[in-house]
Amino acid sequence: MYAMWMQTKAETLKVLRNPYYVFWSLAMPILFYFLFTKIINTGVDDKQQWHKHYLMSMTIFSIMGSSIMTLGIRLVQERTEGWSRFMRITPLSEYSYFIAKMMAQTVIHILSIMVIFAAGIIINGVSLSFQEWLLSGLWILAGSLPFLALGTLIGTMKRVDTASGISNILYMALAIMGGMWMPIEILPRTMQAIAKWLPSYNLGNGAWEIISGRYPEWFNVLILSGYFFLFVILSKYVRKKQEAI
Amino acid sequence: MNDVVTFYNVTKTYKDQKAVNEVSFSIQSGEIVAILGPNGAGKSTTIMLMLGLLEPSLGLVQLFTHSPKEKLVRERIGAMLQEVSVIDRLKVKEILELFRSYYSNPLSLSELIKLSGMSTELLNQRAEKLSGGQKRMLNFALSLAGNPDLLFFDEPTVGMDIKARANFWNTIRILKDKGKTIIFTTHYLQEADDVAERILLLHDGKLVADGHPSEIKKKITKQSVSFLASTDLTLDQFRSLPHVEDVYLEEGRIYLITNDTDTVLFSLIKSNSSAEISEIQIKQGRLDEVFEQLTLSKEAQ
Repeated sequence: MYAMWMQTKAETLKVLRNPYYVFWSLAMPILFYFLFTKIINTGVDDKQQWHKHYLMSMTIFSIMGSSIMTLGIRLVQERTEGWSRFMRITPLSEYSYFIAKMMAQTVIHILSIMVIFAAGIIINGVSLSFQEWLLSGLWILAGSLPFLALGTLIGTMKRVDTASGISNILYMALAIMGGMWMPIEILPRTMQAIAKWLPSYNLGNGAWEIISGRYPEWFNVLILSGYFFLFVILSKYVRKKQEAI
Repeated sequence: MNDVVTFYNVTKTYKDQKAVNEVSFSIQSGEIVAILGPNGAGKSTTIMLMLGLLEPSLGLVQLFTHSPKEKLVRERIGAMLQEVSVIDRLKVKEILELFRSYYSNPLSLSELIKLSGMSTELLNQRAEKLSGGQKRMLNFALSLAGNPDLLFFDEPTVGMDIKARANFWNTIRILKDKGKTIIFTTHYLQEADDVAERILLLHDGKLVADGHPSEIKKKITKQSVSFLASTDLTLDQFRSLPHVEDVYLEEGRIYLITNDTDTVLFSLIKSNSSAEISEIQIKQGRLDEVFEQLTLSKEAQ
C-alpha cells in the first residue's frame, strides 16, 4: 500500500513537472477561454450562458489533453527507455503500477478542473449553484475515463514520434468536432451528425446539460461507456499481442 | 543444495536462431560470477532469462528455487540492466525513496548513497540533468534499494570513468563480504579476471567453460617458460623434462609449453647452470588471450 501511495505521489509530481501538461492542459484552455469570452465578440445573445458553456468546453478540452497526450506519450516513453521492463523486476506489480498511474491522473484532473473553474470565476464571474459546480466537476472527472483508456491505447505504440503525432491529431479532431472550440451548431450538418457519436461531444453535452439546470442524457452515458470498453479491450488486445513476441 | 540460481537445459530461440543453446549451470549463495563471451554470445539473453524478463523456449530457470517472476523472488533481487535511462522529472532523492518503498526491507538512504558512490549534492538534482556516469551510479543505487541477496549487472562499467569504476568494484567486494551473490557480464576481461571467482564462458549461445578464472585459463591457454640458451643445448633435451608438452624456438628464445610452470622451472634450474640458460620468463595465459582465441575461432568460421 505504501509503495502504491509513493508511486501515485511520484506519478503526480512527474505530470505536474511536465511542460506538455502545463501548456496543453492549463495554459491553452485558459487562454482560449479568455479569448473567446473576453476579446473576440462571438455575437451570442445570452452572454452569461455562453460563459458557463465555454467554461465546461475548455475544462473538457484540458482533461482530454492530459488523458490522450500526456498519458499516452508518457507510456510509450517508458517502454522505449526500458523503464516498463525494469519495473517488472521490482516487487511492485504491473497492476499496482497501472492503478497508481490512473490515480495520479485523477488527482491531476481534479486539479485541472479546479484551476479552470477558478479561472472562469475570476475572468467572467461565472456563477453556478454549488450543486452544479460539484456535479459538472464530477461528470467531467468520470467522463475522462474513455479518454484515459484512449491514452492507454496510444501508449501501446512503438515510437514516441508516432504516438505524439497521432495523439495530437486525435486530440484536435475530437475537440473541434465535439464542439469544444465552438458550438457544433455552427458546423455543417454531416459534421453535426458525426459529432453526436463522438466521446468528446457526449462528455460536453452532459456538462452543458448540467449547467442548464438539467441532467446528462442517458445516451451520453451510453456512448461514453461504449468508448471506454472499446478502448480498454483494444489496448488489452494490443498489449497481449506485443507480449507474445 | 539450495541453489540461488538454477539454469537447467535452457534454450532460447529467436526465430531460427538459438541465442542460448542447452545451457545448464547453478549458482550457490555468496558466489561472484562473471558471464563472459564475445558479442552475440548470449550473455544479455542469459541475464534476461534469469530475471524472468524472457521466457525460455525450453528448460527451467529458477531463482531461490522459485520462478523469477514471483514477488518473493523480486524482493530479493536487484539489477542494473543495459539501455535503461533514468526516470525523468524526479529528483534523485525522490527516485531513491520511491524505489525503497517497493521493498519490505530496504537499505537506508544514507547507505545507498555511500555504497553507490554518489555525492549528497546530487540528491536534489533532477535525474535527467545528471551526467552519464552519474546516471549509472543512480541505477547502481536503485539495484541496491531493496537490500537484495542476489544482484545482476549487465555490462555494469560501460560509461563509467576510472574513478567510478574503481568505486563500483570496491562496492562489489563489500557486497560480497556481506554474503551477496553477484552475477555480472563484462567486456572488460581484466575485470572478470580480477573480480570473479567463477567464470561462465559463453560462445555462440553455448556454455564452453565454467570454472575459476585460473582453471579456465589453464584449460584454454597454455602457460610457458622461456629463456635464452647457449648454442650447444638442443630442443630435444627439454622435451624430455616432466610436464613439458611442447618446445619451440622463437626469436632466439626457447619456449617450453606446460601447465605446471613451477615444476618445469625447478627441473630447469636443477639440470642447467646459469651459463647455459639466462633471462628466464614465465608467461601466464591471460584471460584476454582466451577470449581472443574464442573470438578468432568464431570469425574464422
